[in-house]
Amino acid sequence: MKKRLRTQIIAALAVLPLLIGILMNSAYTVTAAEGEASAQTINEGESEQNDNVFRVGMEAGYPPFNWTQSDDSNGGVKIDGNEEYAGGYDVEIAKIIAKQLGKELIIVKTEWDGLVPALQSGKIDAIIAGMSPTKERKETIDFTDIYYKSDLIMVVLKGGKYENAKSIQDFSGAKITAQLNTFHYSVIDQIDGVLKQTAMDNFPAMRVALQSGIIDGYVSEKPEGISASSKNKNFVMVTFEDGFVTDEEDTAISVGVAKGSELTGKINEILSGVSQEERQQLMDEAIKNQPGSDAEQTSLSWVVSIIKDNGPMFIRGAGMTLLISMVGTVLGFLLGLMVGVIKTIPIPLKKGKRILQKVINAMLSIYVEIFRGTPMIVQAMVIYYGSALAFGIHMNPVGAAIFIVSINTGAYMSEIIRGGIVSIDKGQFEAAQAIGMNHFQTMRNVVLPQVIRNILPATGNEFVINIKDTSVLNVIAVTELYFQTKSVAGNNFRYFESFFVACVIYFVMTFTVTRILRYIEKRLDGPANYSMNQIQV
Amino acid sequence: MEKVIEVQHLSKVYGTHEVLKDIDFSVNMGEVVCIIGSSGSGKSTLLRCINLLEKPSGGQIIYKGENILDDKHDIFKYRTKLGMVFQQFNLFNNHNVLNNCVVGQVKVLKRTPKEAEDVAMKFLKIVGMEQYLKAKPKQLSGGQKQRVAIARALSMEPDVMLFDEPTSALDPEMVGEVLKVMKKLADEGLTMLVVTHEMGFAKEVSDRVVFMDQGVIVEEGSPEQIFNHPTQERTREFLKRTLS
Repeated sequence: MKKRLRTQIIAALAVLPLLIGILMNSAYTVTAAEGEASAQTINEGESEQNDNVFRVGMEAGYPPFNWTQSDDSNGGVKIDGNEEYAGGYDVEIAKIIAKQLGKELIIVKTEWDGLVPALQSGKIDAIIAGMSPTKERKETIDFTDIYYKSDLIMVVLKGGKYENAKSIQDFSGAKITAQLNTFHYSVIDQIDGVLKQTAMDNFPAMRVALQSGIIDGYVSEKPEGISASSKNKNFVMVTFEDGFVTDEEDTAISVGVAKGSELTGKINEILSGVSQEERQQLMDEAIKNQPGSDAEQTSLSWVVSIIKDNGPMFIRGAGMTLLISMVGTVLGFLLGLMVGVIKTIPIPLKKGKRILQKVINAMLSIYVEIFRGTPMIVQAMVIYYGSALAFGIHMNPVGAAIFIVSINTGAYMSEIIRGGIVSIDKGQFEAAQAIGMNHFQTMRNVVLPQVIRNILPATGNEFVINIKDTSVLNVIAVTELYFQTKSVAGNNFRYFESFFVACVIYFVMTFTVTRILRYIEKRLDGPANYSMNQIQV
Repeated sequence: MEKVIEVQHLSKVYGTHEVLKDIDFSVNMGEVVCIIGSSGSGKSTLLRCINLLEKPSGGQIIYKGENILDDKHDIFKYRTKLGMVFQQFNLFNNHNVLNNCVVGQVKVLKRTPKEAEDVAMKFLKIVGMEQYLKAKPKQLSGGQKQRVAIARALSMEPDVMLFDEPTSALDPEMVGEVLKVMKKLADEGLTMLVVTHEMGFAKEVSDRVVFMDQGVIVEEGSPEQIFNHPTQERTREFLKRTLS
């Protein structure tokens, strides 16, 4: 099904700390003891995760395989650490497997790109997320037997020229595309004389392109085709008798498990007990039950009903976004303050202290350069999955998110604060020194209050950036506003309307924050002239 | 007479430029000393070396019998004994008038806020700024700022007050109010070391006048002696230039 190179790249990045860890361990003289200790923690971490639960990772946003819903109707299972429930074909399969394993099923909602790292780091036991057992993936994880197989179809406009196509060759001369980095895109070449368009990143983009006539159709799989055509009355699915030639590993989906896991055999046994009819029945039900109303509505009324149906999801997502960005900004600010103050300590007179200062400053510079110079999404992957892989530390996703935003903000803020300190008039330092203040008293009582006032606009910028940038943290299973919106949109297929709601929420948040900071600035500044009415004492 | 500060063989070098050359100089308790001289003569540098805002390149600074350039010496404590008034006032922009005079007392001298406020009020009254307690520096005129700066330095109750061209950055009509305050302090017996271009003030208020040129003390003596009977050619030339 979905196949992306990115997953592999990011997984490789997540392994990086492991390598570093190994290198560091062998460099130490106490290698043996330490190596054992860290090996132990990894094992402990695994057994802790494995106990009596079966942790399954999925996007919960890819109907009819998996989606997010707000209650437990149609066999929905509660998502771990979240108020929502997951439903769909994958969930049904996961329930069957968990039941026969005699374990409690836990659904871990994770962004697509985070699934493989989560499995490798032991955060989940299995991926049941409509994932195809491709050769590339098989290099990093194991797959069980297939639990669903589908055919390739084409989604086109209803009433259009291609609605009644029977063979793929009927699409000769049509503008056709498919999802980037998937085999869907490569099979387009089997149509003679086709106008192959640039591949698109995701299904919503292709649906919009189809709706607007930019393309004549896109290659997809049956479940997606049924969903798309049932949710959007303008679309119709074309199935072929004389269809695309495909490889089974592409059209099949199976359960992903860790390399060498004992689960493979057990799950294969369980899957073999689920008949083809039962599978088709589960899929039909999933297609029937998948969320979203198919009533014809205008965009505006869609927005209203999206808010009505998913209000709590949006609010929880916005709350999570605000929590992470606010705590992250505040902690990052304090961190930046510390770094900024340390970096501006005047050069000490004694040689020993001078060397110590150089070492500390060099370390702080490395910290700043690394965290400013790498994307937050990569840092999130490396820190969250890397810490689990290399050291067996299983962080709470929200805690990890706050940690990542904080150190990231800290790196930026430290330079802003350093600049702020440097820009303060030298006379202020001299006057403070002249009455006997040391560096930290000078900073605390005279310089920093002025710096903080001066850098408030920059801090506001950071806060606003953080509100927006937390949207990348869904890769470590944080259900912030963007991830929630994706789930909502994945359910109702109204991408424009759902993201429009998110857009408004983001704007309201950032605008409010900016206004509050502006108000604080004004308060701090006070009036330009001293009015004698203020005289007291 | 008891010497408060004694400077011996003091030198200061910036790169290859010698700003101060082997200066010997002292200030006695209760004395008002004015240092005069043209720009670049080293008089401000001398003052800044005395409270260690500039690190002397050589020589000694003896405060009450101790060489404060010793590594052991607590320079932060030493600085509280010297009140400094800057040409550019340098009031703490983030504090109001009262707090400018309080913060050092509380944070450095560890006085209680109540104690500190009483002391600050006493000196703000002396400089005539007691009506502006809550004003921020940016709301004040230059003369007002400088008077607050004087009160801030006095609030630390130092042994010596150092004035680094306290009226040079002021509009002419504000020079008077600051000089008036300084004269009042001199009359009360405060030990003062003043770098100034105000010859009238030096003549009228000081006990001793020091004339510096090109990093050396050319001549020192009573105002009468320096202004009316200078012995050195360089002093005569300088006075001719400035008084004409």
